Amino acid sequence: MPEELKQKISQFLDDELDQAQTLGLLKKIQSEPELQEQFKRYEAVSHALKTEVFLLAKTDFSTRIRQQIQQEPTYLLPQRKIVSRGHIQLAVAASIAVVALLVGRDMMVTKKPAVPSPNLQLAQQQATKPVASAEVKQLPLNKRINDYLQAHNNSVYTNGEANFQPYARVTAYSQK
Amino acid sequence: MSVAKCFFVVVLLSAGQVLAEAPEPDAKQLLTKMNQAMATLNYQGTVAFLKNDKLEPMKYSHAAANGKQQERLLSLNSPLREIVRDADKVSCLFKETRQSIVDHRPFEHSFLVDVPGNLDDLDGIYQFEVIGSEDVALLPSYVVAIVPKDKARYSRKIWIEKQQFLPLKVVLYDNSGVPLEQLVFTEIAVKEALPIVDVSLSDTGLPVQHIHQSSPQSSAQATFKVTDLPKGFHEVFFIRKPMHNAEQPVDHLLLSDGFATVSIYMENQVAAVQSGLQSVGAVNSYSRTLNNYELTVMGEVPAETIKLIAEGVKLRD
Repeated sequence: MPEELKQKISQFLDDELDQAQTLGLLKKIQSEPELQEQFKRYEAVSHALKTEVFLLAKTDFSTRIRQQIQQEPTYLLPQRKIVSRGHIQLAVAASIAVVALLVGRDMMVTKKPAVPSPNLQLAQQQATKPVASAEVKQLPLNKRINDYLQAHNNSVYTNGEANFQPYARVTAYSQK
Repeated sequence: MSVAKCFFVVVLLSAGQVLAEAPEPDAKQLLTKMNQAMATLNYQGTVAFLKNDKLEPMKYSHAAANGKQQERLLSLNSPLREIVRDADKVSCLFKETRQSIVDHRPFEHSFLVDVPGNLDDLDGIYQFEVIGSEDVALLPSYVVAIVPKDKARYSRKIWIEKQQFLPLKVVLYDNSGVPLEQLVFTEIAVKEALPIVDVSLSDTGLPVQHIHQSSPQSSAQATFKVTDLPKGFHEVFFIRKPMHNAEQPVDHLLLSDGFATVSIYMENQVAAVQSGLQSVGAVNSYSRTLNNYELTVMGEVPAETIKLIAEGVKLRD
């Protein structure tokens, strides 16, 4: 696209073109999709720059956008939506903000790996004398052990072990 | 100023705002926020418990109002039961057997996860770290790892939702990194308000196992003393009370390191005891005889920890 045309679009949006130049430009925009897209982008940027909202943007602006994006529900099936011209302009403005956001984040944040740090792994490797697995018997609950389990913690309530029921007991304790 | 120049100004300004944003909270801050959210928010959802290789999906709700809290669980599969926690009281109604019990448990606060208030006290035994972000139930969450600094206890991970700071998933791992038990929400919603129901099992017309409350006693009264404890474990309470039948008192000492709990039971030996280690899901237990007493130590800690504690239990002179 010629630089001259871009300049004319910019001037048009700033109301700096005379009537003849404006008509000529609009005709060209009408016939060339590429120009239409360029016009929409410039219009969105111009709108963003001229509105009070942008000038008074709060300091947590980018944080709020990031949170909104994270809160968007995930749709696994494709969603069909009717997109209006206004939505397109909003989308362009949002895209600019997201690009700025991502560029800024990449400059600022080093990604943390989703694995424990070497220190943590080292701590886990500090071995004490292990008990051989054969020593540990996997046995069904008996009444005595079941009573102990019941008194030990509340996991008996969230455990679907059927044999918990017949042995259900009340543990009693009060704290002064 | 041309539009192109203005565009770059927009980019730079936005980048500047990103650079100025607050740092991500650390693991302890997240766990503290989680405790606060769990105590003050009204929320409900479906939670699946996976223990002993058995999946138990339940409806869950938590209501908070005027300083009161109430937790409710409703099983979706047999055995059908509804469990309600009011402060230190847990009421449970089994619909199929028409059995109902009331259980006083002041040392526990949630069916989901109990995280101590002062995490700085645990610096000597646990390391806390945010290890990433994942989605649980379609909600973005921080993944917080609670990793022991020795092998005397297990590690945990808690997935904390990023907006409300509620726990969405909790997993307990053995020292090989294998999950031992976990719970995970499949859906959860925060509400403006949820009703706190007045639970009175006597209104159901079903027989209720009544509570005979006992007060905690000094562990100096215990038949036994503990001579060897892993670092960080401390006494939570001691009680002597009948457990299997009215004539048979049992000494029960509960220990905790903040996350893991261990119970020590001692009673008169009335029959041959099956000595040695046993395991029921994440819970390991070790039994042995001590003169005419029967000792059992159990808890969600590695078998070697249980055995170490059990071997350090001596009869008082």
